[in-house]
Amino acid sequence: MSSLDHSATAIPASSGNVPKFRRIAVGFRRWWPYYVMLAPGLVFFLIWHYLPIWEAKMAFEQVRIIPPNIWVGLKHFQTLFSSPVFYQVLANTLIISTLKIIFVFPVPIIVALLLNEVRSGKLRKFVQSAIYLPHFLSWVVIAGIFIAILSPSDGAVNQITGFFGAQPTAFMTDGNSSRWVLVFSEIWRSAGWDSLLYLAAIIGIDQSLYEAAELDGANRWQKVLHVTIPGIVPTIATLFILNMGMFLSADLNQVINFLNDVNRGQIDILDTYVYRIGLKTGEYSLATAAGLFKAVFGMILILSAHFVSKRLTGKGVW
Amino acid sequence: MASAPRGTAIRRTPLERIEYAIIVTTLLALVVVTLQPILNLVAVSFSDPAKVAGKSGLDIWPSGFSLDVWLLLLQHPNVQRGILNSILITGVATAIGVIGTALMAWGLSRPKLPFRRAIFILVLITIVFEPGIIPDYFLMKRMGLLDSYWSVILYKAVNAWYLIILVRFFEEVPEELIEAAELDGANAFQTFFQVVLPLAKPALATIALFYLVFHWNEFFRAMIYLTDQTKYPLQVVLRQFVVEGDKLAIVGAENAANNIGVAQINLKALKAGMIIITILPILAIYPLILKFFTKGTMSGALKG
Repeated sequence: MSSLDHSATAIPASSGNVPKFRRIAVGFRRWWPYYVMLAPGLVFFLIWHYLPIWEAKMAFEQVRIIPPNIWVGLKHFQTLFSSPVFYQVLANTLIISTLKIIFVFPVPIIVALLLNEVRSGKLRKFVQSAIYLPHFLSWVVIAGIFIAILSPSDGAVNQITGFFGAQPTAFMTDGNSSRWVLVFSEIWRSAGWDSLLYLAAIIGIDQSLYEAAELDGANRWQKVLHVTIPGIVPTIATLFILNMGMFLSADLNQVINFLNDVNRGQIDILDTYVYRIGLKTGEYSLATAAGLFKAVFGMILILSAHFVSKRLTGKGVW
Repeated sequence: MASAPRGTAIRRTPLERIEYAIIVTTLLALVVVTLQPILNLVAVSFSDPAKVAGKSGLDIWPSGFSLDVWLLLLQHPNVQRGILNSILITGVATAIGVIGTALMAWGLSRPKLPFRRAIFILVLITIVFEPGIIPDYFLMKRMGLLDSYWSVILYKAVNAWYLIILVRFFEEVPEELIEAAELDGANAFQTFFQVVLPLAKPALATIALFYLVFHWNEFFRAMIYLTDQTKYPLQVVLRQFVVEGDKLAIVGAENAANNIGVAQINLKALKAGMIIITILPILAIYPLILKFFTKGTMSGALKG
C-alpha cells in the first residue's frame, strides 16, 4: 500500500497511492465534524466505564488511609475464596437466577400466545396497556407495593389465603418465602412487557402458514403448536441465552429492596454482598475483589451467550 | 394486526367459544392482578385516615374520603425536596443523555468513518465488562463528585444500549439525502441538525422517554453517592420510608415524640400516598410510552 510516488501533486483522496499521513490528513479534513460530535459521548464512556477499570486495581492492594496503597497480589481473592459467606451468596445468586429462568421466563411467552388469540383489537389494546405498566415502575415502588400486598394483617394475598382458612404469613420477613417473593415480583413486573417481544415475533409469522393449517383442519391448539410456537422459537432461544448471560446478576435493584436481616441467608446475592462489605463495612479491597470475580465470570457468560446466540439464531446480544 | 380475523367464514364450535372465554378471562385476570394493587393504594391514600387500619388489601374503593394524606405529603419538606431533586436530576440527565447519545450515534452511524469499528468495540466492551460498584464509587470520590447532584446526573449519562438503538436508526437514513444536503453547501453540523434530526424525531422521543424513565426510577446510585439527605431524589425518600421502614423519614422525630401533625396520620395511608406520588409522573407520560416504546420494540430493538 505504501506509495512509491512522493511527488506531492494533489491526488484525489480516494486514491490508494497517497502517503499514509496524507490520507489521514485528508480523512481528518472530511471527518473532523463527526469526531467533534462523537467526542462528548466518547469522553463519557472513557470516564465512566474505563477509569473504573483502573480503580479496580484496588482489589490487589491494601487500601491505606494515607496513600499510597500497598500491592498485595491475590491476598484478597484468597480471603474471598476461603470465606463461607462468599459461597453462600454465590449459591443464593445461582439459585435465584435458576428459579427465575424456570418460573419467570416462560410466563411472557404464554401471555403473548394468549394475547395473540384475542380477536377484538380493542380488548387486546386494553390488556396490553394495563400489563405493560409495571415494567416502568422502579423496584422501590414495586417493593412498596409488594409490602402492601403481602402484609400479614390486611394484605391482599393473606386476605385470599385466609378466605380458604390459611393462617396469615409474613412473606416479606419469612426466609422460606423470600426467594418466591423475588420470583413473583419479577413476574409481576416483566411478564407483560416481555410478552411484547414475543408478540412482535408472532406478528412476523407468515399468515399463509395459518391459512394452510386451517385448510388442513387444524384447530386453535394445533395452530399454536405447529405454527405459532415454531415461529417464535428463534426469539425464545435468543432471550433465553440473553438471560443465561445475566446469570450472575440476579438483579441488584430488585434484591436490595426485598433484603432484610431475616431473609439475608436466602436472598443475599453477589451484588448486595459487594455493596454491604464495601460501602457499609468498608472492606473496599475485598468487595472490589468480589466485584471483579462477578465481572470476569459475567463477561465470560455474556460473551458465550452472544456467540452461541449469534451461531444459533443469527442474532447476538447487541 | 396480531390476529386479524383469520378466515372470517369459519364457524365457531361451542368448544371454541368456551376456549375463547377462558383465554379472555385469563387475560382479564392478569389485568386485575396488575392494576388492583395500585388501585388499592390509591384508595387507601384517599381514605379517611381513621378508617385505614385493617382496610382490606382487596378493596379498591376509599373508606370515607379525605385529602389529609395528600395535603400532608405534598406540604412535607422532605417530599417537596424529593420531588424537586428528582425533577432536577431527571431533567438535566435526560437532556445530557439525549444530546450526547444523538451526536455520538450520528458519528458512529457513518459507515466510512475511520476508526468506527474501534470506537464501537470500545462501547461494546462497557456492556460486557463492568468492574462493579466499588470502583465506580471510588472514581466518584476521586473526582470530588460524591454528595453532588452531578454524581447522579453524570453516572452513565450516555447509555450504551440506547446508543446502539440510535446508531441502528441513523444507519437507515438514506445516503442520498446527506449528499444532497452537502451539495446544497451544508456542512456536517448543518446536515445533522437541519436534515437528520427532524427525521429522527420519533427515535429521539423514544430515547428521551427511555432516559426519563431510567433517571426517574434510579435510586441505587443516589443512595450510595449522596449523603446529604436534602439532595435525595424521591425514590430514595420513598425507599427510606416504605422499604426500610424508617418512619421518621416522613413523620419526623419531633412529631413522632409528641404525636402531633403527621404522626397522627395512619402510617399505612402515608406509605400508600408516597408510593402513588412517586408513580404519578410515570402515569402521566404512560400514554407516550405506550405510543413510542411499543412501536420501537415492535420494530426490532430488542430490550428496553
